[in-house]
Amino acid sequence: MTDPNTPVATDAEALLKAQKRRNAWLALALVAFVIVVGVTTAIRIQEADFSGGDRIYFSGYMDEAASEKADREAQARIAAREAEKVETVEAAQPPDQGDE
Amino acid sequence: MSVDMTAPDTTPRLATARDYVELLKPRIMMLVVFTALAGLVAAMGVTGTSMNPVLATVAIVAVALGSGAAGAINMWYDADIDAIMTRTSTRPIPSGAVPKNEALTMGLIMSAVSVLLMWIASNVLAAALLAMSIVYYGWFYTMVLKRRTAQNIVIGGAAGAFPPVIGWAAVTSATPLDAWILFAIIFFWTPPHFWALSLVAHKEYEKAGVPMLPVTSGAKATRLQILIYTIILAPIGLAPLATGLGGWVYAVVGALLTLAFLHFAVKVWRSRAGESDAGDAERKLAMSMFAFSILYLFGLFAALIIEHGFGLYFPFGGI
Repeated sequence: MTDPNTPVATDAEALLKAQKRRNAWLALALVAFVIVVGVTTAIRIQEADFSGGDRIYFSGYMDEAASEKADREAQARIAAREAEKVETVEAAQPPDQGDE
Repeated sequence: MSVDMTAPDTTPRLATARDYVELLKPRIMMLVVFTALAGLVAAMGVTGTSMNPVLATVAIVAVALGSGAAGAINMWYDADIDAIMTRTSTRPIPSGAVPKNEALTMGLIMSAVSVLLMWIASNVLAAALLAMSIVYYGWFYTMVLKRRTAQNIVIGGAAGAFPPVIGWAAVTSATPLDAWILFAIIFFWTPPHFWALSLVAHKEYEKAGVPMLPVTSGAKATRLQILIYTIILAPIGLAPLATGLGGWVYAVVGALLTLAFLHFAVKVWRSRAGESDAGDAERKLAMSMFAFSILYLFGLFAALIIEHGFGLYFPFGGI
């Protein structure tokens, strides 16, 4: 018994040709997908402001409170980094010689 | 022995590129893409949020792929009833051009690709909404509702109503009232649109055992339901004027199209379209309403694109 979905065309050459054509389209689709993902990622990275807590892909928040919390956390991280930098600079400076 | 020359040729054949395109239901895809584009453009116009044109294009492509994926899954599942109905018997699977499992694989892979593309091009909310609409159409409407209830079109209509909400969410990461108004327009438009067609094709559905309203409740009840849904749709179609989403262009286009749609609904209600003794004029009337319903939806969403995409928004009022 044959599968009703199997083409009855007996011409093996025609079948092979059709298969090759399908494979070519699939390869083209894959290449297109890779290009689209690459271009999209490049644009997202270019547009993202990482210092403000942006993330490349998870750009959306389900609610405003979560978005605001993420912003506050990002600001706190930036402030902590700045404070750390100031401390490091101060520590690297020679000790005050005082009045001579 | 006589040969039915009108019977479709169902001899298995080699698939062509056209078969694979047909598997994606391109006509539905066009409407889906158009309404998603309208949602996207309107969101940018109303909120003032801009979106990189390349990312916006990828988001629209994702919507198109998602629509095609849901269409392929639908054709995979409905292959048995498609083979029974003359109108659908030449589709790629019943005609033997595309193997069933290939259609399913294609649908599932395209679903995943579309959701992923939407996510990387816009945000997680738009991607989640797209995934939900694919599941809604491919599983809930196709596998649960379609063969079980005469309300299949009413409940299932939500699947086709998601695209403008997805377009809006892609830009703003949110779905405000305006986006849901666009959803409601398509949701309440679907029953009169589809039932107008089913008044003509009800014998086919009966043959395939699909409980469309004209099959379960008769043509008279269907004509009344078409009128009721069109009356409900009328204020919803004009609701963008109340929120300020639609301006003067939308007001003029919307008012004219709404009046014409109501006119068609009343004419169909008063006719004998769908009855066994209905004539060719009645059949044509139902088909005219079906065709006009497409123009109605196209007109409303085109007005939004013109207003918000081409800077022709002149406030009508709104709250």
